[in-house]
Amino acid sequence: MKLDLKIDGAAEQIEILAPGPSCRFRFGGAEMAADVEMAEPGVYSILIDGRSYEARVEETPAALVVVIDGRRFEIEARDPRRLVRKGAGSVADGVQAIAAPMPGKIVRVLAAVGDEVAVGQGLLVVEAMKMQNEMKSPRAGKVLSLSAKEGATVTAGEVLATIG
Amino acid sequence: MFRKVLIANRGEIAVRVIRTLREMGIGTVAVFSDADRTSLHVRMADEAEHIGPSASSESYLRIDKILAVAKKHGAEAIHPGYGFLSENADFAAACEDAGIVFIGPSSDSIRRMGSKTAARQTAIAAGAPVVPGIDHGATVDEVRQFGREHGYPILLKAVAGGGGKGMRRVDAEAELDGAFRDASSEAERAFRSAEIYVEKLVERPRHIEIQVLGDRHGNMVHLGERECSIQRRHQKVIEESPSPLIAQHPEMRHEMGAAAVRAAQAAGYYNAGTVEFLVDQDRRFYFLEMNTRLQVEHPITELVTGLDLVRLQVEIAAGGRLPFAQSDVKWTGSAIECRIYAEDPYNNFLPFPGKLTRLTRPLGPGIRLDGCVYEGWTVPMEYDPLLAKLAVWTGSRGESVDRMVRALREYDVGGIRTNIGFFRQILEDPEFRAGNLHTGFIEEFFARTKPVAAPEELRAVAALAAALHTMKRTPSTAPAVAGGSSWVEAGRSELLR
Repeated sequence: MKLDLKIDGAAEQIEILAPGPSCRFRFGGAEMAADVEMAEPGVYSILIDGRSYEARVEETPAALVVVIDGRRFEIEARDPRRLVRKGAGSVADGVQAIAAPMPGKIVRVLAAVGDEVAVGQGLLVVEAMKMQNEMKSPRAGKVLSLSAKEGATVTAGEVLATIG
Repeated sequence: MFRKVLIANRGEIAVRVIRTLREMGIGTVAVFSDADRTSLHVRMADEAEHIGPSASSESYLRIDKILAVAKKHGAEAIHPGYGFLSENADFAAACEDAGIVFIGPSSDSIRRMGSKTAARQTAIAAGAPVVPGIDHGATVDEVRQFGREHGYPILLKAVAGGGGKGMRRVDAEAELDGAFRDASSEAERAFRSAEIYVEKLVERPRHIEIQVLGDRHGNMVHLGERECSIQRRHQKVIEESPSPLIAQHPEMRHEMGAAAVRAAQAAGYYNAGTVEFLVDQDRRFYFLEMNTRLQVEHPITELVTGLDLVRLQVEIAAGGRLPFAQSDVKWTGSAIECRIYAEDPYNNFLPFPGKLTRLTRPLGPGIRLDGCVYEGWTVPMEYDPLLAKLAVWTGSRGESVDRMVRALREYDVGGIRTNIGFFRQILEDPEFRAGNLHTGFIEEFFARTKPVAAPEELRAVAALAAALHTMKRTPSTAPAVAGGSSWVEAGRSELLR
């Protein structure tokens, strides 16, 4: 089967020709063979030409995070024959979404729906582990939505407001 | 000796203190907030008592509640760890009044060293060199006058401060009013005191500190230095002993050690404490402040001296004499520590609390790991993001750097972001390896380091793992693949049986 990938933002395609443990796949124009075992949940031991790799895969709301020997890849994978549900962060043209940069708690809301805001104007403040992070508007415009409430807990990547 | 000790703290330091108390055969009492019911210190202690909601102002900072638990459980002494109430003179005094031994210095010494300006005055009186500055809460006009006399850049600091809060660099007089306002309001929020003082800024300084240890009979020694120049947001993240600078200039250890002991003795200090110095490009050192408690980074001193500082703290608090003299203190080899934080180094080091889905710890020769985490534990968002301290020891600095890189390669924490991968980059950096350290190292590192593209085979492995994982997932947990079709299911079950 074929999958469309986005690896750290760059579009790629992978085709799995034979599944594991004796896996064959095509990536970047080359056909490769790999011996694959899932050693622990989400941890893949992959042997290619006698070289041993360990890939640790983690699911996040936005993408898969794959870590190999300390190197981190953010990978979005989807089947090109399937309809894609809009991700939490996708928005209409010209509208900018403000997503939480870290898990935390909303300590202050500085704007309301319908407000006209300037570039760099503070919209809300998220706090975690004694650090406060003021989220500023990336553009001038109107606050179209604002789901953030003071005291609410948010996860990383959660859209808190949209500006259009 | 005490039969039972209460630990007025949480996280890795509570666990670290419990370990030594257990080795000494002393009973342990843990306290915990709502967020910490399943935290490791509660699970490890012999006795444990809930002290309130998650907010530390309602739990770990409540002197009355902690003393009540100590009385209820019959604890004869309290170890405060670091942070929270550890440098709170009122807490030390309340323990003294309640007849409970505070494992640390006297409340009087904390007062004399706790305020940064009072500490400066004590240090000056003891003959320790200090950076030129105003030694009391200053008005913006006084600071302006100081800037004209001593020149810019200058550094504004909170009188009650610590951890970089309320600190601002000012490069020119035009920036002064705004910076002063920001620093005071930040200090007010963090420490409930808006008082600001000023120092001449030392460019590209090293942060080198001296561990001191004294008993209640007038004996005091120093245990050498720790270099803590690798910092982010004015907080240390990598520490080492010996300092690579002092390894080249060993006479500095004795000069700085003697200055530290003089300053501490001038405050009537006993128990463990740390005197922090800035060292400028010409190797001149200046007293910065004294931390009147056990430091986060104490393990590296333990590794190079072979001592257990917590054990010594407890023995001294129980009235014991220092069991050795200065000439008995020997330093062997090289130790490095990395503070493993739940944070994202590639997004301004923002904290990243959450559930640990996977944990593999580094093992093998020369590794020491002081931590408080376990697989399945949720890192609370209410407290400091320190997960663990990874320390290594070998006979030389070069080998210790190699060992740390090896240990970091073995260390895997899933579910949250950490700075483990970032430390590898720092430790493999030629400037770090050469020992060319200063407190602005990390900012400069980011500015001069370009991301290196991953080798193609590594990208292929990552792509393969992502593809196999996507095909294996159940539809309900696969946000990128809509719906769930029977052939996808079939494909999944064929893969990776």
